[in-house]
Amino acid sequence: MANAIKIVMAGEGGQGVQSVAEIIAEAANEEGKECLYIPNFGVEQRGGVSVAYVQISDEAIGAPKFNTGDIVVALSDRALYRTKQYVGPQTIFVYDTSINVPKEDLPANAARILGIPAVEISKNELHPRVFNIIIMGAVVGATSVISREDAKRAIEHKLGAKFEKQPKLRDQNFSAIDRGIELVTKAG
Amino acid sequence: MSEKPIKGEKRVFLTGNEVVAWAAVAAEADIMFGYPITPQNEIMHYWTRMAPRFNKRFLQTEDEISAGFTTNGGVLAGLKAFTATAGPGNTLMQEPISMAEMMRLPVVTIVQQRGGPSSATVIYSQQEVTLTTHGGNGEGMRVVYSTASHQELYDYTIKAFNTAWKYRFPTFVLGDGYQAKMREPLTIYDPEERGIEVVPSYKFIGGAGKPGVDRPPVQLRNIYNMEEELLEVLEEQFAEFGKISPDVAECEYFGCEDAEIVVTAHGVVARGAKSAVKELREHGLKVGYFRPITLRPLAVKELRDIFSKAKKVLVAESANGQLDQLLKYAAYGLTTEMVSLFKPGVGINSEDIYDKVKTMLEN
Repeated sequence: MANAIKIVMAGEGGQGVQSVAEIIAEAANEEGKECLYIPNFGVEQRGGVSVAYVQISDEAIGAPKFNTGDIVVALSDRALYRTKQYVGPQTIFVYDTSINVPKEDLPANAARILGIPAVEISKNELHPRVFNIIIMGAVVGATSVISREDAKRAIEHKLGAKFEKQPKLRDQNFSAIDRGIELVTKAG
Repeated sequence: MSEKPIKGEKRVFLTGNEVVAWAAVAAEADIMFGYPITPQNEIMHYWTRMAPRFNKRFLQTEDEISAGFTTNGGVLAGLKAFTATAGPGNTLMQEPISMAEMMRLPVVTIVQQRGGPSSATVIYSQQEVTLTTHGGNGEGMRVVYSTASHQELYDYTIKAFNTAWKYRFPTFVLGDGYQAKMREPLTIYDPEERGIEVVPSYKFIGGAGKPGVDRPPVQLRNIYNMEEELLEVLEEQFAEFGKISPDVAECEYFGCEDAEIVVTAHGVVARGAKSAVKELREHGLKVGYFRPITLRPLAVKELRDIFSKAKKVLVAESANGQLDQLLKYAAYGLTTEMVSLFKPGVGINSEDIYDKVKTMLEN
């Protein structure tokens, strides 16, 4: 219960939090670790806040969900209000600086709060479609739960077929991981 | 014959619904009948994806009543038939399952519990315990396995087919929406390579020879003319169910020898219970863990032995006391205090159980 690294990621439907959660969990699995990924799901087909829960450990993992995360990521204002409950005194809270919430609404009890301009960077420097991979880089950078190399290998595994057709995509995705890692290291 | 679906052992990372489909293939199931309902839909999806490769069949029916009856029909034809459902679908399926009970048909049903009553939520609960163990207008002559991990979903889906065909009682694998949708690693394998016998199916009707001359006639009935006739059949069923119960019943436990409090949970909630109890014990607290794996029949001997030694039993479940009821019936006559942590339709995490036990110990 204490030994697993617990991650909550939340965003608007379509922001790609579920794919990122799945890639992180798959990468941990490839490393031979115990891991568990569970999405929230409801009756809606699109829209709404999408929340993903990931746990990674060297030991067997307990309940699929948990009360407090080690890292909580919120990518929209609604996602922020939805995920505040998972923040505790040990939690690293990551949010995208493009979201429009008053400063006092950020969780007051987090160990660290990291605002990162992932939306802006993906739009201006890389490509909007790698936004979620920057977030993945941020999670990897903040937790060291998987290595940079494993993260890239997992992306290659997931998107390799697309990369074959468009090699440029690989560079964009790998740069996005690097940028994400760099953002939290710098912000910390 | 088609190729063996799984060769050797393979570590995979799948959703629970995928696991069930793989396990059904490994158990040599022949056909699935089903009607879509969340959160079990992907069992059908993966089964239909694999079915043509392994020479297996699928039929989507017009509703769950029909899915249940066609599963009965498949079994009568000598096929390893199964179905999967959830929530209101499980309610509808109780009619055909009652028939299977009366006729002793080895149907296998996978249930991925969702919130109830009615359509409630598509997400998760443990509110189909009463329905799955004792549903229908019968006496609950069924076997129900409640799984807690993907490895168990795989192992017990295979076992469910074996139990059903060995003992001829309808058999269930009781999962839930969390288990259905989450991903975690497990090892899939060919059961025979592990020395697990795959119990073969057989024809119930239309066997060789002339009935009444070369062999006794087969008469499978779900209706009787006289009260006494029915009673005779039922008493035979009860006796047989009682006889097999010690062989079928399964549970797991640890730390109960010295425990002041025994935490009891089933299914996915048992995961949280297990890690909470481990941590409490690491802190030197006398807390034990008991988990029924079969909810029907229960491992009554172990349960009574463990409960009788404890000062208190904490029952944690995502329902308003459905497991609790089964436990109390089995524990009748014991004076151990039973405390509850009920969250119907909502997950129970390790921290919830940890905190509850701490409060109990302090008071």
